[in-house]
Amino acid sequence: MAETAEQVFDSVQEVLVDALGVDDEEITPQAKLVADLGAESIDFLDIVFRLEKAFGIKIDQSEMFPDNVLNDPQYVQDGKVTDTGMAELRNRLPHANLDEFDASRDVDDFSNVFTVDTVVKFVQTKLE
Amino acid sequence: MRFELIDQVVERESDRLVAIKNVTAAEEYLADHFPGFAVLPGVLMLEALVQAGRLLLADRGVADRPLVLAEVRNVRYGQMVRPGQHLKVEVTLRGGGSAEQGYDLTGVGSVDEQVAVQGRFRLAPLARSGGNELEKQHNG
Amino acid sequence: MRWIWIDRILELEKAKRCVAIKNVSLAEDVLHDHFAATDRYPKTPVMPNTLIIEGMAQTAGILVGHANDFAEKVILAKISKARFTAAAYPGHCLRYTASIVRIDRTGASTTGTVERIDPATHESVPLAQIELMFSHIDRSRTNLAFPEHNFVFTDQLIDLLRQSGFAPAPGSTPAPGAIPTR
Repeated sequence: MAETAEQVFDSVQEVLVDALGVDDEEITPQAKLVADLGAESIDFLDIVFRLEKAFGIKIDQSEMFPDNVLNDPQYVQDGKVTDTGMAELRNRLPHANLDEFDASRDVDDFSNVFTVDTVVKFVQTKLE
Repeated sequence: MRFELIDQVVERESDRLVAIKNVTAAEEYLADHFPGFAVLPGVLMLEALVQAGRLLLADRGVADRPLVLAEVRNVRYGQMVRPGQHLKVEVTLRGGGSAEQGYDLTGVGSVDEQVAVQGRFRLAPLARSGGNELEKQHNG
Repeated sequence: MRWIWIDRILELEKAKRCVAIKNVSLAEDVLHDHFAATDRYPKTPVMPNTLIIEGMAQTAGILVGHANDFAEKVILAKISKARFTAAAYPGHCLRYTASIVRIDRTGASTTGTVERIDPATHESVPLAQIELMFSHIDRSRTNLAFPEHNFVFTDQLIDLLRQSGFAPAPGSTPAPGAIPTR
């Protein structure tokens, strides 16, 4: 099924509105799932389930939200992601924009990486 | 059990209200929720938010109808609240709203600074009775 | 007041669907506070919508628990959506229909409808649509120390199942104190 970028965005918008209980207007490409849309860990689970249903794809929770990288002492030291950690993240999340996060590398800032656009790009890579 | 979920109002502004619900083992339903592990039921945390919202809107002139919960959007549960603890609830009016449309609110409830419940909801006036006999008997 | 917000289970299709009912009665204390008379309106006894959500949570929770033979502690994690289009008064019967959308190791998502039935006319009116998410909790997911046994599925709920004619399979209901298998 060849979905245009706009169709993907519209479907992702619908998923996020349903999963997060926010209004259509709040779903902008740069909106951060946690800081702007108030997402919690249960919501990430809900988002993955609804994306699977909306697009007919299979997603592993850790593909989208790599929890185990942040908990690994190889990749995180004193609350900051190491060089090896950054390389691992870039490898695991080709759909995410990690440049801004690279500046601080603070584990507490990591959730800011996940914007609406990250989700759209992730879905597009899965549909290819 | 009395269906009163707000024990004290702590702060009050035109669009925001903070209140406390004390949780006590004297609340009999706790013996069922759960036996051997009493915790405030999630829906009663939501009811505390609803009742705080009603207090916030009390002066808004919604005339002669009680305000009921019309819609809930993404209410999530976190920390549990046990007898001897209290739930601190904060509700904020999300701009606009009217007696006809209802009022959109955001609510957060926390216990010892940790989030126990958070989400959005809408309160609207209870509709007048339609043709239903039972409605007419109980709702004037 | 007991914490049981459904009266009888009418249908139970393992891992699929559960239908339950609840009668609304003036014998219930809560209706006398919701709402008591004020200077703006007379006494108006109407079933609180949060307790209708709980009725759905208990119907869907039993469905989700039963799907795993009550081996997991199933707790309400999220009310994704609840929309109310009518109200229930003393004399009405509420009918809850819950379906599993998804269930796995971590928990489940359910969707459901609530109807209001008039006992005299048998007329049924849609009252609410409710979508919920449940989590299977265990010691690793929370810093609270809670008991090993499945305290969620109380004697009261299991008894309701039995009285409705849906006995849990022999040996599948953990006795209090038993360690749930994974």
